[in-house]
Amino acid sequence: MNPVIETQHLSKWYGNVLGLSDVTLEIEPGITGILGPNGAGKSTFLKLITGQIKPNIGTCSIKGKKIWNNFSLFSLIGFCPEQDAFFDELTGWQFVTGLLRLHHYSPSEAETKARKALEIVELVEDKDRVIKSYSRGMRQRLKFAQAIAHDPEIIVLDEPLNGLDPLGRRKIIRLIKSYKGEGRTIMVSSHVLPEIEAMTKRIILIHQGKIFAQGDIHYIRDLIETHPHIISIKCSDPRLLASNFIQEDFILNVKFSSAENTLLVETNNRDKFFSLIPALSVKKNIEVEEITSPDDNLQAVFDYLVGK
Amino acid sequence: MTIKEKGYAHWDGEFLDKKLPWWPITRYGIKLTFRKKFFKLFFPMSLLPAVVFLAGIYVSERLEDFKFLFRDSVPILQIDPAYFKTYLTEGFLLFIMVIAVIFCGSGLISDDLKHNSLQLYFSRPLKKRDYFLGKTAVIVFFLFLLTLVPGLVFFIMKMIFAGSFKFFLSYPWLPLSVIAYSVLVTAFFSFYALFISSLNKNRRYVAILIFGIYVGSDILREIFYDIFHNHYFSLLSIRGNIQQVGAAIFDQKTPYPIHWILSLLVLTAICVLAWFVLKKKVRGVEIVK
Repeated sequence: MNPVIETQHLSKWYGNVLGLSDVTLEIEPGITGILGPNGAGKSTFLKLITGQIKPNIGTCSIKGKKIWNNFSLFSLIGFCPEQDAFFDELTGWQFVTGLLRLHHYSPSEAETKARKALEIVELVEDKDRVIKSYSRGMRQRLKFAQAIAHDPEIIVLDEPLNGLDPLGRRKIIRLIKSYKGEGRTIMVSSHVLPEIEAMTKRIILIHQGKIFAQGDIHYIRDLIETHPHIISIKCSDPRLLASNFIQEDFILNVKFSSAENTLLVETNNRDKFFSLIPALSVKKNIEVEEITSPDDNLQAVFDYLVGK
Repeated sequence: MTIKEKGYAHWDGEFLDKKLPWWPITRYGIKLTFRKKFFKLFFPMSLLPAVVFLAGIYVSERLEDFKFLFRDSVPILQIDPAYFKTYLTEGFLLFIMVIAVIFCGSGLISDDLKHNSLQLYFSRPLKKRDYFLGKTAVIVFFLFLLTLVPGLVFFIMKMIFAGSFKFFLSYPWLPLSVIAYSVLVTAFFSFYALFISSLNKNRRYVAILIFGIYVGSDILREIFYDIFHNHYFSLLSIRGNIQQVGAAIFDQKTPYPIHWILSLLVLTAICVLAWFVLKKKVRGVEIVK
C-alpha cells in the first residue's frame, strides 16, 4: 500500500530546544499510534505533518506533495489539537460551522456537514449551548467533531483522550475505531500505552525528539514483558511471602518497602509472577490487600530502552 | 489492511482559491462585537456626531429658515473641506474611534492566544495573510462606519440638499480626501489594535493598553511641550499626528507648525513595527521554553 504521509530527515528546533530530530518514516492508511512521554516531540511531529510549522531540516509530504505552504492539501487533513482550543462565547454549532466555512464551504454545505459531525459525536442535542458550559468530555468530542466535519482523508488527533473519564474515553476510542475500516489515515498521539493499544497495533515510539521504534505494538509489549518489573504487594505477612518468592528463578530481587506490610518484588516474567500470587495466597493463608506496578508505564519502558 | 467500506469520497479536482477566505473570521468578529452589552449602547451614540453634522449640512442649505437660531454664528455652517476636516479629525471622533476599537479589536488576537485557537485556523486552508485580513476587516467595518460612510454621506447629502452639483464642482477632490483620510486612520488603528491585542492573552489588559497608550501619548506631548515649548513634541501624540496628516489631506492649516510628512512617518513607523510584532506573535505553534 502506498504511504500517505512521508517524512525525510524531518527536524525542528525551537531556539536551543530540540523539538524533533531526523525523522524519516512512512505512514500508510489505517490507525497509527504516536506514543511517547510528555515532551517527547509528538505534538511537534503532528504539527509538522499538518503543515502548521515549517521544519528546519527535511521534508514532509502528503500523498507525494510537500505540505508546507501547500494550502490545497490542508483540506485533506482534520486536526484535533491537544489543548482546549475553543471560542468559549460561541455555541458548539457556531464553532463547527464557522470552522467549516474556513474550508471554503457555503453556509448550507457547512450546516449539513456540521450537523453530520455533531451527530457522530452525539452532540446534536447540545449544539446550541455555549461551549463554556460544556463538560470536559463534551469539549473533547466537539474538538473531534471539528476535525472530522469536512470529511478529511487524514485525521490527526493529538492526545484526544486527555482528561477524559473512562466513559468519555470509551466513546472517543469507539469513534476513532469506527473510522478504521474506511481507508482513512488516522494518527493518534498519546503518552499512555493502553490507550493506543485499545485503538491500533501499529505504533511509532517517539522519545526526546527521535523516532525510537516503529512497528507492531506487540514489539513494545514484548519489551515490557522481558524487562525487569517492580511490583509492590501489600499483604498480611510480607516476610512469609518473600521467603516463598526467592525460591523462584523469575524473581530477581525482593525488598521490604518503608510502607507498612509492603513488599517490592523485581521479576522478569510478569505472567508467571501473577499466576503464582493467588496460589501462594491460598496455600500460605496470606491476605493480599493491594498489588501495584510502580514502573509499569511508558516512561519506564523508554528508560529501559535507552539504558538508564 | 482490509478496507471494509470506503467512507469518504476523495476529490481529485483542482483546488480553487475562494475569493474571500477571511470573510468567516470577519463575520464572527462583527457578530461577537454586537453581542457585547455595552457596545449595543455605545454604537448608536457613536453615530450621533455624524447625525449632528448631517443636520448642520441641512441647516446650511436652509439658513433663512433657521437664522433665528444662529444670528452671528452663520460662518460656522459654511460647508467646505474644513467642515469635513472638523468632523473627521477632531478629538471627539478620534476618541469615539478608540472606544470602538477597544470594543471590536481588543479581543481579536488576544482571545485566539488565550484559547489556543491559532492552530485551528492554521490547520485549515487559511493563509496567515487571510487571518490578518479577517481580523483587520472587523476593525475596518466599524471605523468606516464612523469615517468613510459619514464622510461620503455628507458629500452626497450636501448636493441633494443644495439640489445642484455646484459643491462637487467646487471641491471635486473632496471625496478622495475623505477616502484617503478614512483609509489612513482606519489602517493605523487596525495595526495599532491588532498589535496590542497580540501582546497579551487578557483582553481587558489589551483594552487598557489601547486606551492608555492613546491618551498617554497625548499627555506626554503636553508635558514635553510645556517644558521645552517645542512643537516637534507633537510627534509623540497619536492624536496630534493623525490631526496633522488629516489637515494636510483636507488641504487645511495643520494644527502644529511642523511638516505633516513627519507625522505621517511616525504613523507609518508604528504600523511597520506593529506588522513585525504581529508576524512574530501570530504563528501556529506554542513556544517550548
